[in-house]
Amino acid sequence: MLAFAEIGHLALFIALICSICQTGLPVFGLAGRYSHSQFLAISRLLQLLATLLVIFSFSALIYSFIVSDFSMALVASHSHSAKPLIYKISGSWGNHEGSLLLWIVILVLFGGLFAATSKHLPDRFSLLTLSVQASVTASFLAFSLFTSSPFERLDIAPLDGRGLNPVLQDIGLALHPPMLYLGYVGLSLAFSMAVAGLIEGNISRQWGQWVRPWALSAWCALTLGIALGSWWAYYELGWGGWWFWDPVENASLMPWLAATALIHSALVVEKRGQLKSWTILLAILAFSLSLVGTFIVRSGLLTSVHSFASDPSRGVFILCILLVATGLPLLLFAWRGPTLSTRSDAGFISRDTALIINNIILVMATAIVLIGTFYPLGLELAVGQRITVGPPYFDATFNPVMAVALIGMAIAPVTMWKSGMLAHARVALIVAAIGAVVAVAIGGGAGVADNAAAMAGLALLGWLGFGVLADMQKRLKFHQPASILARIGKLDGAIWGVWLGHLGMAVFMLGALGDGLGRQEQTIRASAGDVIMLSDRQYRFIEMQQNQGPNYTTRTALLALEELDGTLLGYMRPETRFYPAERQTTTEAAIRPRISGDDYAVLADGDDEIGYSLRLYHKPFVSWIWGGAVIMAIGGLIALSARTTARRTSTNIKQTS
Amino acid sequence: MARISARTLFLLPVAGFVVLGIIFTIALMTNLSGTAKIDPLPSILAGKPAPELPSQRLEGTGADMSDPLSAYAGRPVLINFMASWCAPCRAEIPALETLSDELVIIAIAYKDKEADLRQFLDEYGNPYASVWMDTDGAIGRRWGIYGVPESFLIDGDGIVRLRHAGPVFSDVINDILIPALEQM
Repeated sequence: MLAFAEIGHLALFIALICSICQTGLPVFGLAGRYSHSQFLAISRLLQLLATLLVIFSFSALIYSFIVSDFSMALVASHSHSAKPLIYKISGSWGNHEGSLLLWIVILVLFGGLFAATSKHLPDRFSLLTLSVQASVTASFLAFSLFTSSPFERLDIAPLDGRGLNPVLQDIGLALHPPMLYLGYVGLSLAFSMAVAGLIEGNISRQWGQWVRPWALSAWCALTLGIALGSWWAYYELGWGGWWFWDPVENASLMPWLAATALIHSALVVEKRGQLKSWTILLAILAFSLSLVGTFIVRSGLLTSVHSFASDPSRGVFILCILLVATGLPLLLFAWRGPTLSTRSDAGFISRDTALIINNIILVMATAIVLIGTFYPLGLELAVGQRITVGPPYFDATFNPVMAVALIGMAIAPVTMWKSGMLAHARVALIVAAIGAVVAVAIGGGAGVADNAAAMAGLALLGWLGFGVLADMQKRLKFHQPASILARIGKLDGAIWGVWLGHLGMAVFMLGALGDGLGRQEQTIRASAGDVIMLSDRQYRFIEMQQNQGPNYTTRTALLALEELDGTLLGYMRPETRFYPAERQTTTEAAIRPRISGDDYAVLADGDDEIGYSLRLYHKPFVSWIWGGAVIMAIGGLIALSARTTARRTSTNIKQTS
Repeated sequence: MARISARTLFLLPVAGFVVLGIIFTIALMTNLSGTAKIDPLPSILAGKPAPELPSQRLEGTGADMSDPLSAYAGRPVLINFMASWCAPCRAEIPALETLSDELVIIAIAYKDKEADLRQFLDEYGNPYASVWMDTDGAIGRRWGIYGVPESFLIDGDGIVRLRHAGPVFSDVINDILIPALEQM
């Protein structure tokens, strides 16, 4: 069974050969001697083969982790026989080499899925798309095999592994990378289709229809992946924050912003035949930004909590991939793009205009994050000075730009294509304005009237939430529940995607504003018996406890959370864990999550003489942040399924007629 | 004319990307050759009086005194947080022995045991004017160290002038400590 890994290694080489052949196929296929369909059949076969081989290879790696084969260098340094099974498995992608292989797995999965579902697309276009996708796959396979092979053996196998890092044994962290990669890499297919379209020099309206499901599914995964990462940081790091504008967080936000623009502009291509060149550019940029993210995490260029593989020679390789995979398509775009331009025939008040504004704003936001992330790097190179760009910059630049987007998110759904607004638009917008006024009034009553940014945020929240709800009410007529199902049946399913996507944003904002404005926090040194007040509740410090875990010792502060009149709400047990074998201390925050807000307690250092340092927070509505992201992703999935159903129906009609 | 400007517009993404690509390449190259000059992180203690020092001396090291600094008032001192269980702390001993000809070095043994410490000093050498115990690590926390070895240069007035995290080798002495001493 030891040879399992060697077969997996070999499978990767064969997959590389398949991908290289597949990349070259159109060169012969387009020369014209044979029909495209024959070459396409070969290309599909090669794609299928590569997909199976890479999946086999990844299974072999996971198997080596499950059986703790410490003769493999990767297993020896990142696993341990005492780890729970789930973390042995997740350990296989919790490192540079393994996560790179996971990245390739997703790349070939998307390629294989496209090969299997693209029967209704033109042969030439499918052939080109598969070829571009295969070229990306081949680059990453080469990257993996020649600079960071996961299948290296050790001459002498150690008795046990070294990978028992307690911080990394966490379910949020086990799921965050696969989800994020699904998003990053999913964008590769939109990219391949864009490049294929550019090579053909002809983008049809259907192109928008073809590319949107891929972009949508990648966008959903990216949304969830980012939310998972943020949630992990919130409950595990014990800093009480959920977004830090860390370079790597920014690296995942940039493709998300570009992909959000893409799923909107592809709609314009599909419905109106406009914005073609712009949409192509977005498809290229969204994936390029994913590559930039991969590059900065793996080259160690920007220091961050995520930099787990700072090996410069790997950096060079991935920089080459980035330069070729972005540079060539952009040159192609500069050459072919101008011929794709169309003159708009839409009126100013129209969904076309709304979506163009949406795109401009999202691209500006992407640029703002890009500059904020790389300006320090440029400055360091130019004058050798190290600075950090943090929340003040993003508050001043990113937030105002996104505010405009939020205004538009309530307006766009009630506009019509080409020109005009829906009949109920006026009512919906008046309700939205009332919502804004109500939110401002609530904010004023809660005592944030002197904070202009906060008031603007609240106004936007009310505007967006009420605007979307009013649109739903107008179309669904909740006050006539008897016939509501019939109305739902008649609606275009995609509208639910719009509603949930935009409502999810409002829910997210409620969480972000609730935490940002209403957060109460206190850092205090306390001893057993003390009572600490925090907003409308109090913590009674009962005692310190010492406990023995499976491979760690804990110090736990037992706190009773009470209302001010002494009614017990629950016990909070923040603890610090000491892992003697790893000489590592971790902080486990105690969190009491409720819909109305979280209570959050952290125990820091201290002893019985000087007291213990406690950090206590009350964070109103904070869970809504991730709830909003989940709602957005659900909206994306509904839009996706509504599209596939619609396509199937239209194909059926075509076949019967 | 309008045609040309449209072309230029379509070249903009390429231009933007080229700038980013150049930044990445240069950054990677400077990383590779290791010539990147980065200001070391300043310690928040710099310019402030030295925090609390331990009062428990390892017997047999230094003269009979009750606190580490009083005997050296008016002279610069290097406070060296170390531990017998720390490998880089062994590696820095030879360089510290050279340095001890010019500068008083005081060790603070972080989370250490006396017996281990004596064995360590016998085995690797003792460049220290005196060795003091920080058994529970409380002093280390006051100083904000994030590991051992870590060293602080204190001037004659008891003000922290410089912090160096990591072992003191001859290049650290020549490039960092001696220039700092000359400035005092």
